[in-house]
Amino acid sequence: MAEVQQQGGSDQGKHKKLRAKKSSTHIDMTPMVDLAFLLLTFFIFTTTFSKPKTMDITMPVKDKVEDKDRTKIPASQTLSILLTADDKIVWYMGMDSVGLPPETNIANFSLTGNKSIHRVLLEKNKLVYDKVKMVEDSVARKLIPDDQQTINQHKAAVKADEKKGLIVLIKPDSTARYKNLVDILDEMLITNVGRYAIVDLTPSEKELIKNTK
Amino acid sequence: MTPMVDLAFLLVTFFMLTTKFRPDEPVLVDQPSSVSQIPLPDNNVIMLTIDAKGRVFFNVDKQQTRAAILDKLADFYKLTFDEKEKKKFTVLSSIGLPINQLKQYLNVSDEDRKKMNEASPGIPIDSLNNELGIWINSARKSAPLFSLAIKGDKDADIPTIKRVISILQDNKANRFALITNLETAPTDKQ
Repeated sequence: MAEVQQQGGSDQGKHKKLRAKKSSTHIDMTPMVDLAFLLLTFFIFTTTFSKPKTMDITMPVKDKVEDKDRTKIPASQTLSILLTADDKIVWYMGMDSVGLPPETNIANFSLTGNKSIHRVLLEKNKLVYDKVKMVEDSVARKLIPDDQQTINQHKAAVKADEKKGLIVLIKPDSTARYKNLVDILDEMLITNVGRYAIVDLTPSEKELIKNTK
Repeated sequence: MTPMVDLAFLLVTFFMLTTKFRPDEPVLVDQPSSVSQIPLPDNNVIMLTIDAKGRVFFNVDKQQTRAAILDKLADFYKLTFDEKEKKKFTVLSSIGLPINQLKQYLNVSDEDRKKMNEASPGIPIDSLNNELGIWINSARKSAPLFSLAIKGDKDADIPTIKRVISILQDNKANRFALITNLETAPTDKQ
């Protein structure tokens, strides 16, 4: 602490006079501290640390595509998910051919229960899902370096390599909400579905939705 | 008391330096959540906000880019904006109203601007009056390297979302991001 060094004097009277001038060097800090804490509280409450997250989507180039250039996909591996009103899902495997409507099922967005789309996807995509799980096991056993980029590369390679994996066609109906679309895209990420696309509904599929209600 | 005060000031300094004030957004949007971990880039983003009523708002950061976009829009729609209006446009955040109201929007007071935002139908997206297409086209030309993000409300309707995506595809923007909140991934214990 700063102190003023007094000149030592032997004279008693003089000394007394000087001591009277000596005032305390302590300042009352309370108002400053109050302010500091006020600011601290303000900044604590206004700061948000979590940055928004994003989900990357790649849509096909919108050009006229010749019929022969279109990607052919095997019907047996195709799962169509129709998103409809009230957060309901109608799904079917295979193709919706004329005169032979597919067997449709109703599902919901819950994670458990026998109507959960999550369980349907896990079951149908078991082949790929297990392989991706194996990548994670290899990471745990230190066969693959524990680096997010490397892991993602491995996972992507596994997903792309598996030709027998599930192909999902996401078809949001006009009665569905945006949340449903994001939820189902999220489900693709969780259940490791490698190949999926957002497609428009065909008129016959609109009929299907009506009939399965 | 001194150590406590030291600590308090240290924290104040920390929070002051880390806090970034968000500009006032004209629309409130409740995003859906996902397990995706990819963070949104801090800058160079063209953001399309779609609220629960299906209104579309356009936003882009960097003042020079905004100025360039306004110039392109003015060219296209044969409008003129004076320096004051241009300046105002560069400092605002999301814009979501038909182009013929833009000039008025830039000139009114902040209070009235709020009212205009509430009454606004958003940027028109229908195929006859595809103003959003022009916005995106101008933005892509002014800032070709900016990434695109769609910030949709949970309850936004699918036809609007599909239409916006289709407009993006028309402008050769086939890669974009959907902004979501973070949620924890479910464990696969059945």
